[in-house]
Amino acid sequence: MFNLFLAVFPEIFLINATFILLIHGVVFSTSKKDDYPPLVSNVGWLGLLSVLITMLLLAAGAPLLTIAHFFWNNFFRRDNLTYFCQILLLLSTAGTISMCFDFFEQERFDAFEFIVLILLSTCSMLFMISAYDLIAMYLAIELQSLCFYVIAASKRESEFSTEAGLKYLILGAFPSGILLFGCSMIYGSTGATHFDQLAKILTGYEITGARSSGIFMGILSIAVGFLFKITAVPFHMRAPDIYEGSPTPVTAFLSIAPKISLSANMSRVSIYGSYGATLQQIFFFCSIASMILGALAAMAQTKVKRLLAYSSIGHVGYICIGFSCGTIEGIQSLLIGIFIYALMTIDAFAIVLALRQTRVKYIADLGALAKTNPILAITFSITMLSYAGIPPLAGFCSKFYLFFAALGCGAYFLASVGVVTSVIGCYYYIRLVKRMFFDRPRTLILYEPMDRDKSLLLAITSSFITLFFLYPSPLFSVTHQMALSSYL
Amino acid sequence: MSEFAPIRIYLVISLLVSLILLGVPFLFASNSSTYPEKLSAYECGFDPFGDARSRFDIRFYLVSILFIIFDLEVTFFFPWAVSLNKIDLFGFWSMMAFLLILTIGFLYEWKRGASDRE
Repeated sequence: MFNLFLAVFPEIFLINATFILLIHGVVFSTSKKDDYPPLVSNVGWLGLLSVLITMLLLAAGAPLLTIAHFFWNNFFRRDNLTYFCQILLLLSTAGTISMCFDFFEQERFDAFEFIVLILLSTCSMLFMISAYDLIAMYLAIELQSLCFYVIAASKRESEFSTEAGLKYLILGAFPSGILLFGCSMIYGSTGATHFDQLAKILTGYEITGARSSGIFMGILSIAVGFLFKITAVPFHMRAPDIYEGSPTPVTAFLSIAPKISLSANMSRVSIYGSYGATLQQIFFFCSIASMILGALAAMAQTKVKRLLAYSSIGHVGYICIGFSCGTIEGIQSLLIGIFIYALMTIDAFAIVLALRQTRVKYIADLGALAKTNPILAITFSITMLSYAGIPPLAGFCSKFYLFFAALGCGAYFLASVGVVTSVIGCYYYIRLVKRMFFDRPRTLILYEPMDRDKSLLLAITSSFITLFFLYPSPLFSVTHQMALSSYL
Repeated sequence: MSEFAPIRIYLVISLLVSLILLGVPFLFASNSSTYPEKLSAYECGFDPFGDARSRFDIRFYLVSILFIIFDLEVTFFFPWAVSLNKIDLFGFWSMMAFLLILTIGFLYEWKRGASDRE
């Protein structure tokens, strides 16, 4: 009986922590005796602690997880892929939560439910990564999306935030519907929702007639739903508005965490569940389109968060290259790309949050940052150049490996489009660097110094980005192990 | 293909009903003999001072959402209660876990005063 729940101990702990924090928050923040204290920092630190304990439970409990076969057969599968992806997800969540505390103080943001919702969505993303059944996948995606709809609209005085939340709701519920439609078509045509059974049916023998078109529709709809959620082109339209309108920690969270979990889940579906030509073509087209759009559309942006939104769309395009080639190197390069993308994005959003204290919104506000705050300017430059793919920074390694994998499986067009759009994209990244170092604005904008958590986070991530090329083999061997386990 | 006959009939009837409901007002609506002055609100002959609309009270929405949630909870309770002798202790505790989650939500709603009468 105990073995039954051994596999999901981290999630059980995180759900219990979430509930306890919810009750703690609501009981104390509505008590007249204590004068209605705003509990968001309190709940925030406790939430950060619970995320770290969950990561400890996950990391230390790996050998025990193979015992629980109840979950193994029905909904979840735990192997190396889920292990490392969940650790990456929890690390990103911990980083994002630690970025928020200053934001809460500055903006006088006192809704502790923000943290509770982040914890709930993290738990659902943990389920999503290990989901092994179409129903489990859909439920986890829905729970994660619902939490995000609310926190995207959490800044109540700002119309921008309301607009972002509304756009996220409408354009997030719709792809969930398409995803569910795809799942139901596949179930109707094959009678199976479990990935093991789907793998045997879809890749085992040739299916002709009405059933094959049902399966095709199903796979197409699932792919479309996923691409919506991961904001790939041509389903990217909501991303810039949502990224710009939501409060910045929400934007940070939403550009890192769902991409990690959705990529892990999608790699399971596309490689294990339905290995074939359909998904590959869709991802091929979408990655080319995303790369091109991410490179071109970001040139016209004047606001920092929109620029980061378009650059993340472009990066999703690069990551989808890993999906398009169905080989182990493809999945390995995808995982390397996701890991480095997560670190770069944490870095970028920590900087944006640090600069936000004096309401920087436009790129022009970054002028002469090198004179007022040289270390921050250098860190920002490192992050931007890593996004652009300049050697020897980490972004170059991830792009190199992605293009290498694409060339290795014969997708020459994909790799060449990737290289060309990388070069085009360099323009606006280097323009930011130029604006920081060489511009002379009429009035210099002075920024307040950032707090300790963000500075620690920036130090860790930017030193990883710069020093990654010296010793990249741990990451390579870890991701190779992860990719192998998704093929077994 | 004859298994789909009920579904096809359902589709046709629902399409017909919605099209009728949509199209009939066009036959009975006011024609072009109306003009803006005739259609405007009457306030003793003056021009209307303000909008007749009031701000939507969010409590209506809250009541309906909370009703949906707890009503669905009760709906899930019914089959569980009926089959409790077959699902033994494991089934009992599974439902208690579900009930715990909803109770925590209920406690949150209570403390926040979502059902208070002003």
